[in-house]
Amino acid sequence: MHLRRVNPFKEILRPLGQLLIFIAGSAVVISAITLLLAVLLRPTRIDIDILQTTLVLLPQVLIDGITLGFMYAIIAMGYTMVYGVLEFINFAHGEFVMFGAFAGVELLIWLNAQGMLKTAELGLALVWITLAVLLGMVVAGSLAVTTERLAYRPLRGAPRLVPLIAAIGVSFLLQDTMRFLQSAINGDFYRTFPEFGPFAQRLTLFTVDMNGRPIDVAIQYKAIMLIAFGVVMLVALNYLVNATRLGKAIRSVAQDQKTAALMGIDVNRIIALTFLIGGALGGAAGVLWAFRFTRVDPYMGFIPGLKAFTAAVLGGIGSIVGAMLGGMVLGLLESFSAAYFSIFSRGAFGAEYKDIFAFGILILVLIFRPQGLLGGKTTQKA
Amino acid sequence: MSVILELTKVTKRFGGLVAVNAVDLRIETGSISSVIGPNGAGKTTIFNTITGIYKPEEGDIRFDGQTIVGMRPDRITAQGMCRTFQNIRLFHNMTVLENILVGAHTRTPSTAWGAVLRTRHFKQAEEEARQEAQRLLLYVGLPRGLGDQLARNLPYGQQRRVEIARALASKPKLILLDEPTAGMNPQETESATRLFRKLRDDLGITVVLIEHDMKVVMGISERISVIDYGQKIAEGTPAEVRKDQRVIEAYLGRHAESTTISMH
Amino acid sequence: MSAQATSTNRFLQIFSGPFGALLALLYAVGVTYVLTLDPRSLLGRLLLFSALALIYFIPQRPAVKFLLGAMLVLMVVPAIGLRNPFLLEIGFQVAVFATLALGLNVVVGFAGLLDLGYIAFFAVGAYLWAFFGSQQIWHVDEPPGTFTVYATFPFAAWWFWLFIPLGILAAAGMGIILGFPVLRLRGDYLAIVTLGFGEVIRVLANNLDKPINLTNGPQGITPIQRPPLPEFLTSPELLATLSRWAGRPINANDVYGFFFYFLGLLILGFTIIIARRLDRSKLGRSWTAIREDDVAAVAMGVPLRRTKLTAFAIGAAFSGAMGVLYAANRTFVSPETFSLTASISILVMVILGGLGSIPGVVMGAAVVTLLNIDILQSLSLQLSSLRQGPDLIPLLGIPWKELPTQLDPARYQRFFFGLLLILMMIFRPEGMVPAERARLELHEEEGEAIPDAELEGDLAPDEKLAD
Ligand SMILES: Nc1ncnc2c1ncn2[C@@H]1O[C@H](COP(=O)(O)OP(=O)(O)O)[C@@H](O)[C@H]1O
Ligand SMILES: [Mg+2]
Repeated sequence: MHLRRVNPFKEILRPLGQLLIFIAGSAVVISAITLLLAVLLRPTRIDIDILQTTLVLLPQVLIDGITLGFMYAIIAMGYTMVYGVLEFINFAHGEFVMFGAFAGVELLIWLNAQGMLKTAELGLALVWITLAVLLGMVVAGSLAVTTERLAYRPLRGAPRLVPLIAAIGVSFLLQDTMRFLQSAINGDFYRTFPEFGPFAQRLTLFTVDMNGRPIDVAIQYKAIMLIAFGVVMLVALNYLVNATRLGKAIRSVAQDQKTAALMGIDVNRIIALTFLIGGALGGAAGVLWAFRFTRVDPYMGFIPGLKAFTAAVLGGIGSIVGAMLGGMVLGLLESFSAAYFSIFSRGAFGAEYKDIFAFGILILVLIFRPQGLLGGKTTQKA
Repeated sequence: MSVILELTKVTKRFGGLVAVNAVDLRIETGSISSVIGPNGAGKTTIFNTITGIYKPEEGDIRFDGQTIVGMRPDRITAQGMCRTFQNIRLFHNMTVLENILVGAHTRTPSTAWGAVLRTRHFKQAEEEARQEAQRLLLYVGLPRGLGDQLARNLPYGQQRRVEIARALASKPKLILLDEPTAGMNPQETESATRLFRKLRDDLGITVVLIEHDMKVVMGISERISVIDYGQKIAEGTPAEVRKDQRVIEAYLGRHAESTTISMH
Repeated sequence: MSAQATSTNRFLQIFSGPFGALLALLYAVGVTYVLTLDPRSLLGRLLLFSALALIYFIPQRPAVKFLLGAMLVLMVVPAIGLRNPFLLEIGFQVAVFATLALGLNVVVGFAGLLDLGYIAFFAVGAYLWAFFGSQQIWHVDEPPGTFTVYATFPFAAWWFWLFIPLGILAAAGMGIILGFPVLRLRGDYLAIVTLGFGEVIRVLANNLDKPINLTNGPQGITPIQRPPLPEFLTSPELLATLSRWAGRPINANDVYGFFFYFLGLLILGFTIIIARRLDRSKLGRSWTAIREDDVAAVAMGVPLRRTKLTAFAIGAAFSGAMGVLYAANRTFVSPETFSLTASISILVMVILGGLGSIPGVVMGAAVVTLLNIDILQSLSLQLSSLRQGPDLIPLLGIPWKELPTQLDPARYQRFFFGLLLILMMIFRPEGMVPAERARLELHEEEGEAIPDAELEGDLAPDEKLAD
């Protein structure tokens, strides 16, 4: 790693620009394909006008997709960074997300019980949510570091499948540990995100006229907040990795551990910090996830984790920019398939198939383009 | 004399790096030849390309008169070509005998059904394969009792011999040895050299070596090809190569017999 | 048997020689006695398992071990099972899961391909017989939730016997189909993709109740037919005799308990023999070779694709057969059985026992199954009976009554599986009965030129542990 003067301003603008391009690009492509399908399928249905239905749903589907995309992108960072330094799929990352979610939700539930949330205006509500996100980050980050220290570090250098199997074990163990804690303390193992603040309100952007029917294109405050958090997280992470000494150390460990060690970098410490950062991001995503979907339970992290891994692979595992792109694409695809599968197939295939869709993508990408969308072609070593 | 292996303008690239650059090579049936050159010159890559582990971007490789470019490595082995690896790739958790039996894969006629039903044919084929493996073990100069040891527990020199036995088990017409004496002491090297000669003299196998030990190379080879930066820069008898100006430059320009690097 | 003598520890030495054999016999008799005193005791079952494990490990001739094991598995278990059918149920489940574990062991242990969706092949077998062996065919055009009752079944119950080979073929075919696209993948990616496949199969089972109703969705398919019992097994005289022995009325349903127990053991026995013979054949060596170093293996002439595909196919085949059997035994299948937890639990069996080690894997399957359906369940029962009473929890001082039902140990399988995986990976990745040792022992035996018949006898311990 040679020294390079970084322009902090550029390091903030660049990821912002990339994000914007990824969002706009994938949104346009996926919308276009969907509309094309709607036009093609229009003659098959006389009961409803598919094209019109598609158009009416489109803004909401896009917003849902983008918020989901941000969450996948943030979770994917944890996989991609750990993979970058250790070439290891941290199967338990979804459980860090879950722990973060519980931490945030417990804090809010406690605040609610003190009567602090009921009266919260937008500003104060924002403070509480931010606090919850921060707590989620702390809890998930420390859990990640502890896990690395106790379960993964002893296995460094073992055959590839050994740490992977241990990570599966960690994932299962953490799920039931949380279940036990919650059951012992609350008698049941799931919790609900308390309702407060004006987040359910909608901000009407504009109104379109659809065959004489006025359709409001509106966005929930909640969605705006989720997107704002997402942007801050991703930009901050990009800054950290590209413009700070720590980031430089992480990148050099990712490139070549031995050389990094020779250059006086404490590899163990950098790996622990990588887990800390990835875990903290996962924890934040967990709280946001809870905010979005309300219910948290010990098994909530697994499927989002798997999908975020898909996103990381889709973008090119090991690449932070790739994880942002992969997250966006996957979030949008999922939101679109959940909304339109059933309409397009006349109810034959429900929204449940969105999971199959995500796994299908994972399988196809791994088989045909394991280096991901952004990764260059690498020759497999013999 | 007939030609058993012929490379014409073979090129292999890794991204921007041209590891093998338009190399021509002719190996005559029943000969002992060497490929030499500094580390990183592309010798191992040539072997990998011949044996089908890499597919060359350009050029043709003919084995026994027919082209083998694009053929799967296991098919190529079945055609009668086998090899050893620069950095010894035995199956470490298998016994020595089992290692040799894997080498005999293409020559063992037993089937999975036969194994499940324990047919007479299966037992006979297994028994023959075992005896043959035992014979090869002795042939490469290993003690009889070694067959049941795990390969990873053997000393380095013996592992090299097991690798040769394993390659021989496929009954090759042509054997490619990648730095077979690396890491051996002078006595071991000498007896290994005798073994290589025996392969040709007793068994009629054509031998191609990659070697750094010039004593071995000059003593055993009938022809030597010199590779540098992926290109063939000289070829001929040991006497001819020794005098070649470009060879001397290539070897004096950089440190020739430095430590071996691992194969990729 | 010097080979075994050196490889066993001091404690097991007391079981050598004729005196040792007698000692083992005494232990087996003692265990039997405990079980006759209380056929329902968990302790008795655990002792029984310990006796079987002990018999596997002691330094005795294979024939002696076989005899002792057969005595316990073929006589003691059925005899106690007369009085406590649960024992047969456990035996059956151990046989089922040991077979699955052996199948997964072919893929993960022998060929080194980590398959996290293995349960899908079990599902293929189970749903195959569930679909054809029930009335589901009549329901395909009905929306889920309609429960029309039909008088007849499209396939008579005896078709079950034909569906066992069909289940094997279907699962093997599925193994090849799923195997094809993933052949080129590296180890960790393969794991994730197979996990995805497993989930896809489960989601499909959950959702293929529309547009046409193939699986009846989350409700599952029931009733599924059981194979017809031979008449003499259900004759009133036999039932009467059995009832007299058992001290309780024995009906045809109880006879099914014995039937599935022995059928399960039979299939497991075949599986063990097949797995063992394959392991020690050219194919088995090829599997080990590609696991150890695939480049070297292809360079030696091992065809990579075909070798991997046969591993997938054979591994899948084992669980296909058991799927059919399982569907008939339960008379009910639903997607829940085929969760990721189930796939992982089979992986735990393989890893706990020892990757690539046949006796180890069978033992691992027995331990995990006992933990799953016996030990944890017993603890839960114990807890719920404590909840009935007025007692206080020691140390905490709150009444048992107030302990949330959510804390039932039986709900915490994942916790134990997870813990086992982590601990095994860190402290003993080679498992309880490592494969190498087993393999080396075999070789030493071969060196002594023991006749074939005796080598077969050596199989016995694995078979016995099945229970
Ligand atoms: N799989 C690979 N991917 C990228 N580069 C490779 C690969 N294999 C070899 N190389 C490169 O090709 C060149 C020739 O290597 P090699 O054939 O191993 O040399 P030699 O055997 O003559 O020492 C080296 O620069 C090496 O780094
Ligand atoms: Mg080389």
